[in-house]
Amino acid sequence: MIQLLLLPAALLIALVFGIPLIRYCWLSVHANSVVTGLVAIPNHGANWLRLFNDERFWQDSAQTARFAFVSVSLELLLALAIALLLDQRWRGRGVVRAITLLPWALPTTVMALGWRWIFNTPYGPIEQLAVLFRLPPLNILSNPDITWLATVVGDVWKTTPFVALILLAGLQTIPNDLYEAFYLEGGNPRAAFFKVTLPLLQPYLLLGLLFRLAQAFGVFDLIQVMTGGGPASSTESLALYAYLNAMRFLDFGYSATVMIGSFLLLVFICLFSWLVIYQTRHLRGVFK
Amino acid sequence: MIRTRKLWITALLLWSLAPLLWQVYTSFCSNESLLHTLTDHQSRWTLENYRQVLTANPPFWRYLLNSALVGITSTGLTLLIAIPAAYSLVKVPRNVARGAKLFLLGAALFPYVLLFLALLELARNLNLGNNLLALSFPYTALSMPLAVLLLSSAFRDLPSELEEAARVEGLGLWQRLRWVLIPLIAPATASTAILVFLFSWNEYPIALTWISSADLLTLPVAIARIAGSSVYSIPYGAYAAATVLGALPLLLLVIIFQRQIVSGLTQGAIKG
Amino acid sequence: MNRRTGWGLALFLVLTSLAVLTSWALSLRPIRINVLMPASFADQTTELVRKFNADHTGKINLRVTRGPLETEAVSDLAISSLLLGKSPFDALLIDVTWLPKYAAAGWLAPLDPWIDQQAIDSLAPGAQLGNSYKDQIYRWPLVADMGLLYWRTDLMKEPPKTPQELLEISQRIQQEGRVPYGYVWQGRQYEGLSCVFLEVLDGFGGKWLTPGTDIVGLNSPASQKAASWLRKLISSGVSPKAVINYAENETLQLFKSGDAALMRNWPYAWGEVQKTNSPIKGKVGVTTMVAAPGHKSTATLGSWGFSILKGSSNPDAAAEVIAFLTSTYAQKQLFLKNSYTPTKAELFNDPELLAKSTILPILAEALQSTEQRPQTPLYAQISDVLQRQLSSILTGKSNVNTAMDRAQRNTEQILLAAGET
Repeated sequence: MIQLLLLPAALLIALVFGIPLIRYCWLSVHANSVVTGLVAIPNHGANWLRLFNDERFWQDSAQTARFAFVSVSLELLLALAIALLLDQRWRGRGVVRAITLLPWALPTTVMALGWRWIFNTPYGPIEQLAVLFRLPPLNILSNPDITWLATVVGDVWKTTPFVALILLAGLQTIPNDLYEAFYLEGGNPRAAFFKVTLPLLQPYLLLGLLFRLAQAFGVFDLIQVMTGGGPASSTESLALYAYLNAMRFLDFGYSATVMIGSFLLLVFICLFSWLVIYQTRHLRGVFK
Repeated sequence: MIRTRKLWITALLLWSLAPLLWQVYTSFCSNESLLHTLTDHQSRWTLENYRQVLTANPPFWRYLLNSALVGITSTGLTLLIAIPAAYSLVKVPRNVARGAKLFLLGAALFPYVLLFLALLELARNLNLGNNLLALSFPYTALSMPLAVLLLSSAFRDLPSELEEAARVEGLGLWQRLRWVLIPLIAPATASTAILVFLFSWNEYPIALTWISSADLLTLPVAIARIAGSSVYSIPYGAYAAATVLGALPLLLLVIIFQRQIVSGLTQGAIKG
Repeated sequence: MNRRTGWGLALFLVLTSLAVLTSWALSLRPIRINVLMPASFADQTTELVRKFNADHTGKINLRVTRGPLETEAVSDLAISSLLLGKSPFDALLIDVTWLPKYAAAGWLAPLDPWIDQQAIDSLAPGAQLGNSYKDQIYRWPLVADMGLLYWRTDLMKEPPKTPQELLEISQRIQQEGRVPYGYVWQGRQYEGLSCVFLEVLDGFGGKWLTPGTDIVGLNSPASQKAASWLRKLISSGVSPKAVINYAENETLQLFKSGDAALMRNWPYAWGEVQKTNSPIKGKVGVTTMVAAPGHKSTATLGSWGFSILKGSSNPDAAAEVIAFLTSTYAQKQLFLKNSYTPTKAELFNDPELLAKSTILPILAEALQSTEQRPQTPLYAQISDVLQRQLSSILTGKSNVNTAMDRAQRNTEQILLAAGET
């Protein structure tokens, strides 16, 4: 009887997560595009063959991975600092905490548009600062080598508060007695951070890492509004490529293939990161 | 120590606020003054950008209203389904619950943007396109994993004697839920509700593909749509005014509920 | 039981009479036609729309949905509304390159019931192109658009005719120190670059895609010459390095400020350089793109036209709307107010228009030599491939041969993948 209460939730999740994944698998072995008149015809793995030979897919994969790793690492570092700061007791903490949360609460597209203006050449504030320091124009949003860094800034600004919240949660689970005991044994704050805080925070760091890695790997809103994938596709993410394939090129079979391909890559990357973390922890244990 | 902390706090505030303040500043500037740095005071400040955004067709507050509607219905629906589910997750055998939680965690981690194509097909087949209320259906489903995780950890934290006592008193399942358990998890419910509301308010790819009628756009899509730049001028002042107006409701929300947001994540997110 | 039947009967009666009443009211209400246009077109047709609605009070109510400003965003909006099933639009204003895609997807209604041979013959030659797919007419042009070469009459006597001349004239003027740059064009990785390349490619006698076949000509000698020439424009300093990030707007800005001797742009730029605040007002001539000796000079066709959606419940009313918006009267208004190039042949000889604008004969001539971008539903993909490789050539990331070979290979792959199905 009580299990019945799970039913609506389970049904909804199956409908919205399960059916699409099955549908994508099916679509990925069919040609379903504008050329077939939007009708599905089996094409015996031609989509997958195309995926392996598609330079754009692999370039986007590399770009997405670069974006995800750089922004998630920065977010974890920054979030750790912010969480440590917010975990202490000081006057006005509540207000600062609310302000810190604000970037995370805003719709991504709102600030993506804002960043476009901030990085605008030549009228945006960054360029005007550059003029002030007599630097040449930076052309941040039109230089394929650096535009992705601007998207990283946008992502870090927006999602660091979220990671900070998770880490703050972790910090608050560490009992104060542990620190007191550590100090009694003659430890200093620095050592306390590395010997007590970090090890106990590890599951939270791992959770933040996985959560953000998965989200950053699916980055879409920010890129679509801020750069549209440009300049010269240098910021195009896998999700945007899949979107373009479906909505602009009207190639649903291939779009589904790209999506499963990106999903598999993501699973691979998550497993890989987890293994690396697990291994290093293991090694550290050996050397101790 | 105190000095460095103050420094850090200032840096943090600057980092969080500077981009927003720049938008606020831009929104009050006339377009000419944005393009030519040397403009006299008279022609610098203007409310024209706000007037333009608020008198556009449809006016900007329409999008705020749409987003609020979707947010409220999705939040209500999510709680309605997630609370019973979370409760029963505490009652089912331990190994089933663990499996279900792992599954839910996987779903919560899933980059949902990859679902848009299939969801678009779903919308076409079920005729759900261009319908604000229908948007709450995918939103509810997408928020479900996290909501169930958060709420079930709140249920588990309740001492089991409480429910036992209520049962002895002769209260049925619904009465126990209604009069004993749900009031007790109210804080967790509040923070879950805020998270779901924020998600629905901010969601972009699905709203982008499910809504094509201009009157029904939600805020994120409407903002993205005005992003396409014009051939003849750079209406950044109007953009900025739109971003400021779009940010205001959330600013209020965060200021009012920041305690709930923080405690919600600190209490349940990870233990679940 | 009896009472319930009575209630049921009453309810039934009320509902039926309501239905009858509404359908009666609906039949009295004017037919509503909703047309999606990019923002600039929507803004500039408001007066025409008002006039149409005044003329058709009680019969047809025309509503224009003001789409986004960016071309691609308009297409995204139209496509997502079409994919959703019930599109709120009756007609769309579409770009020439979208037509094969939309038609192949089965979204457009053939216009044959409303368009006869006489109407087609009344169009200027270039405007007749790009309206049909597989011999069915699906689109009726609102405005003609083609790539033009703008030149400064105060800096040279005659505009360059060949690529070599263009280089020489530019370099001479630059050496004399009269302008910092010779020639500005659209070099950013986007659709404009494909348009630029098509003109140069044709000028060297090449073909991007032979119509009706899958024969790709991107690694042909002509194509390599074309790409090398574009690269040389930048490396020799004739074009500023920054053109690799230029779209129409940036190009126009630089040319309008008087810093360049030549510019490739669309007809709208004419109105801009002739504005009273323009420092080069009255010093600009217009011609078509350069071509190597022995080859024809061409202009990339880029035009907007109306299509009726298959899902429209009032195609006849929609056709009436389109007929009005593309009528001689409307085109005259649009040309005089917004310098939209007309599509009707007779207007190019209209004394009133000729008196207002000296550029009309040149536009008519350019319309004679327009060239279309490949007409395939896969155009967006193959254009993207080309832009990618051209951009890597212009930025110096890869050399011409490798990049054009890769463009050729990738294009063939796309066509092959589609052909196998």
